[in-house]
Amino acid sequence: MTALFEQIVNGTMMGAIYVLVALGLVLVFGVMEVLNFAHGVLFMTGGYLCDVFFARLTGNYPLAVALTMIALAIAGMALERGVFRRLRVNVPMQIVASLGLILMVENGAVLLFGPSALQLTVPTVRSLVRLGDLSFTVQHFVVIAAAAAAIVALYAFLHRTRLGTALRATSQNAEAARVIGIDANRIYRLAFAIAGALAGLGGALIGPLFLIFPQMGDLPLLKGLTAIVLGGMGSIPGAIVGGFAIGIIEAVSTLFITTDYRDLMVFALLIAILLVRPWGLFGVRVRGDI
Amino acid sequence: MRPRAGAVPLATGILFAAAVYLSPVLFAGSPYVLFLLTQTLCFAIIAIGLNLLLGYTGLVSLGHMGFAGIGAYVTALLMKYGMASFVPALAAGTLAAGIVGILAGMPCLRLRSHFFIIVTLAVGMMLFLFFNNLDWLTGGAAGLPGVPRPRPFDLGFTLVDPRRPVGFYLLAATLFLVVFVFQYALVRSDFGRSLAAIRQDETLAASRGVDVFAHKLTVFALSAAIAGLGGALQVLFLRAAAPQSFGFAEDINLVLIVIVGGAGSLFGPCLGALLFVALPEALRIADVFRMVLFGAALLALALFAPRGLWGLAVAAIGKLRFGKSAAAHVGHS
Amino acid sequence: MSDILEVEAVSKSFGGVRAVDGVNFRIAAPGVYGLIGPNGAGKTTLFDIICGRQFADSGSIRVAGRRIDRLRVHQRTRLGLARTFQECRVLQEETCLDNVLFAAQDKRLGREMLRTFARHTAPPRAVMAEAARLLDLVNLWRSRAEPAGNLSYGQRRLLEIVCSLIAQPRLLLLDEPASGINPTLLNMLRDFLQRMFAERQIVLVIVEHNMEFIMSLASHIVVMHQGRVLEQGPPAAIAASRRVIEAYLG
Repeated sequence: MTALFEQIVNGTMMGAIYVLVALGLVLVFGVMEVLNFAHGVLFMTGGYLCDVFFARLTGNYPLAVALTMIALAIAGMALERGVFRRLRVNVPMQIVASLGLILMVENGAVLLFGPSALQLTVPTVRSLVRLGDLSFTVQHFVVIAAAAAAIVALYAFLHRTRLGTALRATSQNAEAARVIGIDANRIYRLAFAIAGALAGLGGALIGPLFLIFPQMGDLPLLKGLTAIVLGGMGSIPGAIVGGFAIGIIEAVSTLFITTDYRDLMVFALLIAILLVRPWGLFGVRVRGDI
Repeated sequence: MRPRAGAVPLATGILFAAAVYLSPVLFAGSPYVLFLLTQTLCFAIIAIGLNLLLGYTGLVSLGHMGFAGIGAYVTALLMKYGMASFVPALAAGTLAAGIVGILAGMPCLRLRSHFFIIVTLAVGMMLFLFFNNLDWLTGGAAGLPGVPRPRPFDLGFTLVDPRRPVGFYLLAATLFLVVFVFQYALVRSDFGRSLAAIRQDETLAASRGVDVFAHKLTVFALSAAIAGLGGALQVLFLRAAAPQSFGFAEDINLVLIVIVGGAGSLFGPCLGALLFVALPEALRIADVFRMVLFGAALLALALFAPRGLWGLAVAAIGKLRFGKSAAAHVGHS
Repeated sequence: MSDILEVEAVSKSFGGVRAVDGVNFRIAAPGVYGLIGPNGAGKTTLFDIICGRQFADSGSIRVAGRRIDRLRVHQRTRLGLARTFQECRVLQEETCLDNVLFAAQDKRLGREMLRTFARHTAPPRAVMAEAARLLDLVNLWRSRAEPAGNLSYGQRRLLEIVCSLIAQPRLLLLDEPASGINPTLLNMLRDFLQRMFAERQIVLVIVEHNMEFIMSLASHIVVMHQGRVLEQGPPAAIAASRRVIEAYLG
């Protein structure tokens, strides 16, 4: 029983990370119909930048995280302007561009920081929380709390501010939004900025718990993609449910099966759900769907 | 749709076939080059398979090496344990890949484009995980060594021995040309026109009477089968099957081969295969800086050459020959 | 003798909105029928349902007595239904001629595959001749080698209509064919449609906002409002109807 609880906490923590990645993916997709496969390197850059801001500059973890988010928001906007705006209609080339970016950034990280992983030791990783027989680092709960805060902030932004509403409008019906006078390019930039910030937050949060290394964004990207398909491609609630579901299912299943079969199970689950609901759990059936 | 600028007239076809067959003669002194060319042919076959799906029908499948793996392992197992001779083993591998393609296609193809991309990635990963973990069948991570080469063929006027480099090359060349001709016939046919319509506007295609799902499933199965053929050939060439050949990195590699080469063209996948096999050994000895440059090159290509390298080549030739206006029309071949 | 088209109690809702609300109408004889109504009246949705792009929540659709509501789009096309789209759809990368020839192509999968390795991939002479004739009638024969994407909007509309006619449908649904077309092309369109009707005795159902255009063409008008059929009758009666005028103004 305690083992189960332990895994549920672990799973919620990893799920929170997946949610941060998934939200970035779903925002950009919802608004621009672009799948940013390079999203994983934004996550990774978040990890490295946080290390730089914390270990080499400020010594203050929350400040480092905040700076990382700002830097990644800017990076996201640069990506949108420089790369993805132009490739909106060309899906194969989105993939090529993303791969190019991944190669550049992952190898660039090796050039700048060396091939071995970095260790980011922050106070919250050194202190522990004891629940009965189990102990978790404080960072576990920081991750969950930070992700929850980000979700609430995002919700408030999307539903309570003009800009956020404009973003939702563009996501639902780009043509109509344009007619009302919403500047699509501005919205795309905004979506990428938020996505970058969330990815950076994810990398900065997970850094202290696991190591920081160039490929650290690959698996979270894959899990994030799985989460948004599971949840429904334009759906934010779907991304959130999907991310947590994958995190928890993965963690709990380590009690029964090996890692490889665990991944297999998540994929099989995805396909099974899509067989029944081809538009995802929270997705919307679109005109023309069978 | 109608045979246009991109149609390969008979003369070009014969020249191409001749070039392919005569390469061993040209590179007789260089076994390494022959090795690379044989590898290229295997990849080109798989790439043609994916090209039918991605380039001509517009369906981006990110896990396609999984089907190559099915063909590879089925053929390898049959040959290794002496259960079948070359031709039946190869046929079995191709057929098995096609069947797995049908099974995978049925759930995947009902999904809209971006969903489809991610789910095919999931399918590819699942297949890789099977290859990597079913130790009792596939040898697991260690793979299946000791796959025998086909026995010599007696053609009457000469003996072709696939156990030797030149002999295997000729076998690979023949299979490649068969697949190439098949691609050509399919693309120029009414079936190919329906696929082109699906790529450009599915709703319209359906409205004009195309059973979109049935067409997609058919081309998916064909493309999986062809990938299986290529995978089987490669495994026979290397005399061993290894799961890493069919993993995520290879999936990406394959997609790059098709897109960078020029999706939706006859020669694009061949050019891509040549490039990605010829560059590679150099790149695989991970010189980190070179990888950064390579990444930059890919990015530049995506931004400035939306039709891939073959498209660039065709546009350049068009400009040279006919001046600027022609370049706009020489396109979708 | 069963009706050519019978729509019975068809309803469709999106979220809380009833886009189509218990629509009934029948077409018993060939003719040009107009389907008009203010924006949001449910006309395009009804077209989508008849052609299979969407499924109705309830009700039935019969063509020549046979229920088609569970058939998919391509199956209905093969039964003789054809349509054009409000947003005008043509294959942009293909030439005009290729667009028309493709529309005429036998698209049954089995036959297509059998023909793959046949010697000739050229279309039958009769089809070529008809394609040429129709394109010429709308003045597009000279643009036959142009990619459809290069044509003007009005020309693309005409091309779309030619494509829908070449497959010899029994029932052709045109969704706002006149929208965005200049007066010269409009006259050509009107003449073309009248000629096609005279030649083939098919059923044309036309959704239109251009009153002058539809009133001069149709023999029978159906008016929709808020998802329901408001009134039906000959153009003169509809034009004079107070209920119709109020629906548009109100």
